[in-house]
Amino acid sequence: MAENIIKVENLKVAYGDRIILENINFSILKGEIFFIVGGSGCGKSTLLRQLIGLESPTSGNVYIKNTLFSNTDSKTKNIILKKIGVLFQSSGLFASMTLEENMRLILDTYTDLTEIEKSNLINIKLSSVGLAGYNNFYPNEISGGMKKRAAIARAMVLDPEILFFDEPASGLDPVTSASLDILIKEINKGLGTTIVIVSHDLQSILNIAERVIMLDKSVKGIIAEGTPKELKNRTEQPLVYNFFNRIAN
Amino acid sequence: MKTKTEIKNGYNYLENENSIIISFNYSPIIKNSKLFRLEENRLSNKSIVILDLKDIIEYDSYLIVIISIFRNLAVKYNFELQIINENNELSNFINILDIKEYKNIQEKKVFWLKRHIIEVGENITNILLDLRNFIEFFGIIIIKFLALPFRFKKVRWSDLPDIFTKNGVMAVPITVLIVFLIGLISGYQGALQLKQFGADIFIADLVGISITRELSPLMVAILVAGRSGSSFAAQIGTMKVSEEIDALTTLGFDKYDYLVLPRVLAITFAMPILVLICNLVGVIGGLVAAITTLEITLSGYINQLQAALSLGDIFSGLIKSIIFGFLISLVGCYKGLSASGGAESVGKITTGSVVISVFLIIFVDALFTFLLSALGI
Repeated sequence: MAENIIKVENLKVAYGDRIILENINFSILKGEIFFIVGGSGCGKSTLLRQLIGLESPTSGNVYIKNTLFSNTDSKTKNIILKKIGVLFQSSGLFASMTLEENMRLILDTYTDLTEIEKSNLINIKLSSVGLAGYNNFYPNEISGGMKKRAAIARAMVLDPEILFFDEPASGLDPVTSASLDILIKEINKGLGTTIVIVSHDLQSILNIAERVIMLDKSVKGIIAEGTPKELKNRTEQPLVYNFFNRIAN
Repeated sequence: MKTKTEIKNGYNYLENENSIIISFNYSPIIKNSKLFRLEENRLSNKSIVILDLKDIIEYDSYLIVIISIFRNLAVKYNFELQIINENNELSNFINILDIKEYKNIQEKKVFWLKRHIIEVGENITNILLDLRNFIEFFGIIIIKFLALPFRFKKVRWSDLPDIFTKNGVMAVPITVLIVFLIGLISGYQGALQLKQFGADIFIADLVGISITRELSPLMVAILVAGRSGSSFAAQIGTMKVSEEIDALTTLGFDKYDYLVLPRVLAITFAMPILVLICNLVGVIGGLVAAITTLEITLSGYINQLQAALSLGDIFSGLIKSIIFGFLISLVGCYKGLSASGGAESVGKITTGSVVISVFLIIFVDALFTFLLSALGI
């Protein structure tokens, strides 16, 4: 049986008096493709920011590989951060650097590889996302879909155990989005990487998700958990049923 | 056939005359990279090199890096590379990350002088292209101005008061302070020299003429270039990169009427007013220096100033300030419209607009100096 790689216990996030999330409890298994879904404003991105350490919770805990991640010391946090990679919604590539330089920055800081080894590794990563030969392009010289791929290559440069995606399909056409789904699946199956995706793209959820939690802003928390197929047939919960069957309220 | 076995720098070598089998002494992972140093010379005379992946328990992308280095060497030394004992999981991993389009990683060496010559050529070409585009932009704005009486309603006049206030009225405190200090400094420096010749009273001439003809228009222009020119470049540049200008165009608005003309008009009108105020303040600065360092009275200073200053001095400064204002706003708007890409581009064009504006101000000032001197004004 697969072990838990991420565990969230009694998480609460509030900004002053405004509670965004509360009573959040769930686990993510090693090697699975896990989706966090919900309507606009339900707190998906807020939850993601907690999982990747950009913000600290008001109360509750986030564990990564059985190590406390939320509210921990910076040394422990940095060790865990090297095990995760993040694809941000607008890619987060550094605009003043080429794709190669974006990746070289990480390798220069965290590895002892030789120059030839770094160049080879960068080529391997770019090639694995279909961007072979684009080393010297700047982010503003490539398309939106290519930026996402380049950002994935950068997120994967140190072979992270967990990859987080924030709305990976946003701004992409259906064909590019479908290609991205295939790439995510390849990374998961081929490299054993745990994938956590925040999305409201129904097609992607139904294509590649293995397990899903759904958030809702009315309860400020999780209203459903299960496989996409289970949630699609959950007629006893109209909010969930409508979301997964694309029915207007 | 003699077989030689050796363990060195992370690799196990089992070699004979024509072939060599290489396996790993440590896990091929990134953090172990320092432990691995391949001895290339062992492979140089072999016809077959076998990479044995047996006993590998822990691995990451570094394994693929090692495999690609072996492939490079296979081409370099013309040997056959075989990879053996990869289990299903390992085989899958290698397939996912394998470089689909093989690239021989070798640094291209270009002679340093050739590289520099190419760079100089590219920079000159870019400058000439930019100049050509600026001249085109200048021409468009001149035509817009000449046609202004016939297209009055097209210009966004409602923005003019706000731009005038922000870039004219709110610039008064800083410009006044700077020019006062310039007048004070000129007065003190001039007083030192004039005292030696007993020509104390001519301090009024020195300060009055230098402030009104040169220092006031020049300093105000430089301050406005840094303050307003860069602001125009940044504002319009940000609009450009976030596609607001494209949106304006698709909605049927002319970007020159909407964005450029109000700014150019505001600064062109504001500049002479600023310079007039600063002329007065600069002369007061000189007065302070005169009273404190020389035995000159207020009335003496004013009388001498009136005698020394001509309308030509004052008007030459004002005419220059109008031209400076026109150029500063034009350069700021041009640079803003030429932004592309993202935040880095906006930063670059903002800096560029200040540098080019200051250069043009000094250049035009020099031209004016020669021209007026030739005309005896």
